[in-house]
Amino acid sequence: MGQSIAPEARLLASYVPVAAGPWLSEADQVFDAASIFDYIDGAGEVYRSYNMKLLVARRFHKDGKPDIVVDAFEMGSSADAFGVFTHDLEGEDAGIGQGSAYKAGLLSFWKDRYFLSVYTEEETAETKALVLDLGRTIGGAIPAEGAKPGLLKLLPPEGLKAGRVRYFHNYSVLNYHFFVAASDILMLGQTAKAVLADYAESGDRSRLLIVEYAGPGEAARAGASFARAYMPDAGGKAAVRTENGKWTVVRIRGRYAAIVFDDASAGKAASRLDAVEALMGGIR
Amino acid sequence: MSIRTITRRDFLKVASAAPLAGALRPGLKAGPAAAEGNVRVVLVRDENALDASGAPNPEAIQRMLDDGVRALLGERDIVKAWKSLIKAGDTVGIKTNAWGKLPTPGEVEQAIKRRVMDAGVPEDKLSVDDRGVLRNPIFQNATALINARPARTHQWSGMGSCIKNYIQFVPRPSAYHDDTCADLATIWNLPPVKGKTRLNVLVMLTPLFHMIGTQQYNKDFTWGYKGLIVSRDPVAADATGLRVLEAKRRDYFKDDGLLKPTPHHIQLADTRHHLGVSDPARIELVKLGWSEGILI
Repeated sequence: MGQSIAPEARLLASYVPVAAGPWLSEADQVFDAASIFDYIDGAGEVYRSYNMKLLVARRFHKDGKPDIVVDAFEMGSSADAFGVFTHDLEGEDAGIGQGSAYKAGLLSFWKDRYFLSVYTEEETAETKALVLDLGRTIGGAIPAEGAKPGLLKLLPPEGLKAGRVRYFHNYSVLNYHFFVAASDILMLGQTAKAVLADYAESGDRSRLLIVEYAGPGEAARAGASFARAYMPDAGGKAAVRTENGKWTVVRIRGRYAAIVFDDASAGKAASRLDAVEALMGGIR
Repeated sequence: MSIRTITRRDFLKVASAAPLAGALRPGLKAGPAAAEGNVRVVLVRDENALDASGAPNPEAIQRMLDDGVRALLGERDIVKAWKSLIKAGDTVGIKTNAWGKLPTPGEVEQAIKRRVMDAGVPEDKLSVDDRGVLRNPIFQNATALINARPARTHQWSGMGSCIKNYIQFVPRPSAYHDDTCADLATIWNLPPVKGKTRLNVLVMLTPLFHMIGTQQYNKDFTWGYKGLIVSRDPVAADATGLRVLEAKRRDYFKDDGLLKPTPHHIQLADTRHHLGVSDPARIELVKLGWSEGILI
């Protein structure tokens, strides 16, 4: 367990109240990207994949009642705070921070460069209310808001399913949301930025993946790798009909790769990629 | 040399050719029984394994373990059965799991410990440990290991499995996190554990079938399955436990039930590392006891 109270940790801890109603807090635990395994074992990899900097964990206790735990993460950037929030979007929007989800005793939300998990070991009406109160208090204490990843601006709005947008860096997280391949055929990594979004139109569901690489060379190499591994039967074309009868279409432009998976129509998939390309003009 | 990677399209091919339950699951293969020998797994359940408060019933747990070991080894005398696993001269480490929210129950530890001692091992030659195994003199000198842990979902490896339970035998567990823990089975080839495991007990009393958030645990996502899975083969034990977890998820979520991330370390323990058998067609599953809600 890391216990050094760096100024960043003190600042983060200052956003979290010392009491939650009659629940009193215990001593904080502070972890960084190296020591997080001491706290949550291998699950720490999820937060490391989003470049976490610090975690302040504060437990609230009241005899005879379920504990409440606040895990407050400093992610280093608002993009990664948003990203780690999108890793698990299960639940109802609680209207807290810049995006939130509440389900079964767990509130998660993001604001500025921070990601917060407020959790009760047993959901009761009382603990649910405390969890939400704590979240509102913490969200209110964080003074600033942060920007969402710029890559989201490339998502065409038509057919986009709200609440089904994930932002991430590496292929393990991509596979968590949508299994593509057992190895990193898209050459993702901590320097790549990726967004995966669900689209639904007329009952048809498809996915759009956009990756921003460090440069055009990296994007071109990733595109070639993807074509080789995923669509060897495409004959050099950018579209292929897969075994489920749906279409996968890929396009490389500059430092970006955009891929539509599982579209019922090759034409619709290409149109969506046209829309992505048009939006690229706005952020160059 | 190029190594072809498995893609989602390969799973789609499997699905279109053989629409079998589980065909899309990267963790398990479907197909006819292989010519090579099967491995035995015993699933034993007892309706009274937990008391009204949800605590394990020690008598029932002992009975379940004994019934499981008898059926696994085909030996009616439980002491003889354990003597075929453990010699009186062995130094025995019972590797448990101390994860606070769902640890290996003390009742399971005690049931194992009792039978190891019945096999003739003195108490000072056995130890129960998890996080301290690398510093524990008994584990450092162990000639035999018993592996016992609860089954649960896991945010990075997909499943907290018998295979994964040995990660505490390496000084830097994060070195095995690549590709969501794909190659955990390689740990089983390291000197502290290689060839020493005599029995695997995958505890299925209150499995965790879903996880949310940093803490990964919510009691709402456990249920009283009241079972133990016992096998000499950790891969077969895990593959069987995985089937139960996925069946529960299908029942609960009304979807494909697949775990996220995929617990492909189980299949790879078979196909890549040859630690054991993950193919259900090659697993002889013996079911004992309470059958209501057995799911598989």
